[in-house]
Amino acid sequence: MKCRCLASLSIMVLVIGLTVVLVAPLSMAGQAQGSQARGTTAAAEKPWTGKTPDGHPDLQGFWTNNSYTPLQRPANVKEFFTPEELIADNKRRAAQQSEQTEPGTTADVHYDFTQFALDRSQTRLTNNLRTSIIVDPPNGQLPARVGAVAAAPGGAGGGGRGGRGGGGGAAAGGAAPAAGAGGRGAGAAAAAPAGGAGGGARGGQYDQVQNISIGSRCIWTSSAGPIMMPPGYNPAYQIVQGKDAVMILIENQHEVRVIPINKTAHAPAPVKSWLGDSVGHWEGNTLVVETTNHNPKVLTGTFANTSDQLKITERFTRLTEDQIRYEFTVDDPKTWVQPWKGEMPFVKINGPVFEHACHEGNYGIANTMNAVRLEEKRAAEAAKQAK
Amino acid sequence: MQKKLIVAATALALLVGALPVLAHHAFSAEFDVNKPVTLKGTMKKWDMINPHSWFYIDVKGTDGKVTEWMVEGGSPNTLIRLGVTKYTVEIGTELTVEGYQAKEGTNKAVGRNFILKDGTRLFLSLSGEVPGGAPPATK
Repeated sequence: MKCRCLASLSIMVLVIGLTVVLVAPLSMAGQAQGSQARGTTAAAEKPWTGKTPDGHPDLQGFWTNNSYTPLQRPANVKEFFTPEELIADNKRRAAQQSEQTEPGTTADVHYDFTQFALDRSQTRLTNNLRTSIIVDPPNGQLPARVGAVAAAPGGAGGGGRGGRGGGGGAAAGGAAPAAGAGGRGAGAAAAAPAGGAGGGARGGQYDQVQNISIGSRCIWTSSAGPIMMPPGYNPAYQIVQGKDAVMILIENQHEVRVIPINKTAHAPAPVKSWLGDSVGHWEGNTLVVETTNHNPKVLTGTFANTSDQLKITERFTRLTEDQIRYEFTVDDPKTWVQPWKGEMPFVKINGPVFEHACHEGNYGIANTMNAVRLEEKRAAEAAKQAK
Repeated sequence: MQKKLIVAATALALLVGALPVLAHHAFSAEFDVNKPVTLKGTMKKWDMINPHSWFYIDVKGTDGKVTEWMVEGGSPNTLIRLGVTKYTVEIGTELTVEGYQAKEGTNKAVGRNFILKDGTRLFLSLSGEVPGGAPPATK
């Protein structure tokens, strides 16, 4: 159906572009490994000292966490790439994204991302030398679930939560669902609905709008989280600081996190929010944000079947002019046998963050519903004829 | 040495294999893999909207009758960063679109490839610049 010579041309263009883009930052990345940047691309630049008028570290600006780094590290993979290995890995992934899928297969039924500059390689990459976002447990994989029989090693994990919404990553593999009592806590709490499924007479994911993932319905994106995972495309963020709050504008699905500083307590437990209830404070040069009260509808993929004790603590530390270190700790004693931690860089990009306005242009939902109703009608007519 | 190579190759296979084709929704629920289409026509309008662009293309049939097709493309945000506007692809531009027709049976399709008259693919010539690749010094 498709001319693969053109696809090959696009790969060539990408590889040339990548060579130009990657070589300079990675020459710095090699110097950074084992230093303060802990495997990120912060160069031997001078440490960041900029402050806001109220005396806090200045995190403001436009940022991206665009990366190929998976949440979980496959077994037997070392913790860090060398800069040369990362260049090679990025090239392979760019070529794969450009080639995408086989013509005539279900997976081929979409537009070519490369033509719309939506391959990850077509936006600035953070060039994280780590081979997984998870840094603790040290094997880079999710800890066991409470009460779970020994889980198979995690597959090469994608980003955060399930669903394909908003370009979010694939669900991380390997973790067994929470079950029964034992270990930390007293067993998992009632399962949260996954992917925004609303149930109903029609049980298929695309049978009715309530069953379609919340990402596809433009309600939530894993790039807002928390945890804030790299989206598949439009990975742009803006941070604006005030005296009493920090705002993070997320381009993908146009989410806004408003984090109050020094608020004394979280909202009452029954109050649930799509982005959770966040409270922030400063610890030296680091903005620390603790989030609880998650709306169960966002607890999908890695976070499926977690409990009301889920707490996510994020730490934003600006290392240099060009880089913020983003760390997080996920704790839910009813779900995992230990807290788990992750780390990734955010690097600077040019602004602005553009409006995404996902909902108002989301014709795909109506088209999908029209398709399924038509198929049902045809099936009903066929059944009638058969009688 | 050989063992190291095997480990590296296994790791690569796992990492590469993990990469999903990311998209906003399941296209196969909206468009029909059994209905591939090749549309030759002229650009009438491009809605640069999210989560997906929509191209309106006039397609002339063998009988001379013109039919309008709506063709879905990608989110325009990164293209906008590259300087693309709704005027970049001029109205009347000749295009061939390879894609799949909507399951609902109307004249809608997802555009797998947008090919210009000279054989190049739409927007690919813009890939020489990486958005955000040169952050300005602000301090």
